[in-house]
Amino acid sequence: MQSLNRIAFLSVFTAASIVIFVVESLFPTPIPGIRLGLANIFILLALIFFGLKEAFLIGILKSITGSLILGRLFAPAFIFSISGTVLSTFAMWIILKSKLPFSLLGVSILGAEVHTIVQLLLATTIFLPNVSFFYISPIFILSSIITGSLTGILAYLVYSKTKRRFKFCTN
Amino acid sequence: MQSKSRFRPLKIGDVFIIIFFLLSVFFLPRNQGEKVIISVDKSKNFVYHLNQNREIIVNGKLGTAKIVIGDGRVRILNSPCPLKICEKKGWISKKGDFIICIPNRVVIKITGKEFDAITE
Repeated sequence: MQSLNRIAFLSVFTAASIVIFVVESLFPTPIPGIRLGLANIFILLALIFFGLKEAFLIGILKSITGSLILGRLFAPAFIFSISGTVLSTFAMWIILKSKLPFSLLGVSILGAEVHTIVQLLLATTIFLPNVSFFYISPIFILSSIITGSLTGILAYLVYSKTKRRFKFCTN
Repeated sequence: MQSKSRFRPLKIGDVFIIIFFLLSVFFLPRNQGEKVIISVDKSKNFVYHLNQNREIIVNGKLGTAKIVIGDGRVRILNSPCPLKICEKKGWISKKGDFIICIPNRVVIKITGKEFDAITE
């Protein structure tokens, strides 16, 4: 029963991540590459309720499937997305597992920042080498604080309402 | 895991991380540029070295603009555009910095790498 529950919840998390990722990618943004990153809510929750492997799974599936649906599967955007997701999930895991005094808000901000910075580094070194990373990064770093906070607050709300249901999980 | 206290809304680490990223924006290294690329109407690109003081006259869509390079910096001295935003920007010298004059179709960009002129 426990593993059935687990598969069911992981599937829902993955599906929700993909849908949110695709829909928010369709919104117009003033600066390309800045998005709300709401799918990170589910990745963060997966880290808390399940673990690193499950969160990686959700993140990678979100990236591949989402990019497939958006028609960007082998485009630079996909490379940014999957690298950012993997590294940001890993960074969030490290902070969560450590004894450092971070709440979900801080973890979320960190995840968003790592995601953005990884994407920017890839973009300015491989795809657009004539653009200076240090010149364009300020606006991305600042906006990631905001989007990370939003995601963190939402994740906290979902967490506080649902943590009782997840008593069976490893955490 | 210790559930309740672990995820209280706001903790000291969060404040620290917000401040850290806010400050990081202000302490990013900005390197002195080496060359400047002046593009007129997106088609003509002129590349100059920043260490040669000179005055350059370009013919943009609205008229002639005078660009000055001096002391490793560059600026638009005068421009035929109505708002003079490009003139007000003043001197630029760091890699990645740019001045654009949209009405006159003039773009000035500071670079340090070799192949920039081609990718523009």
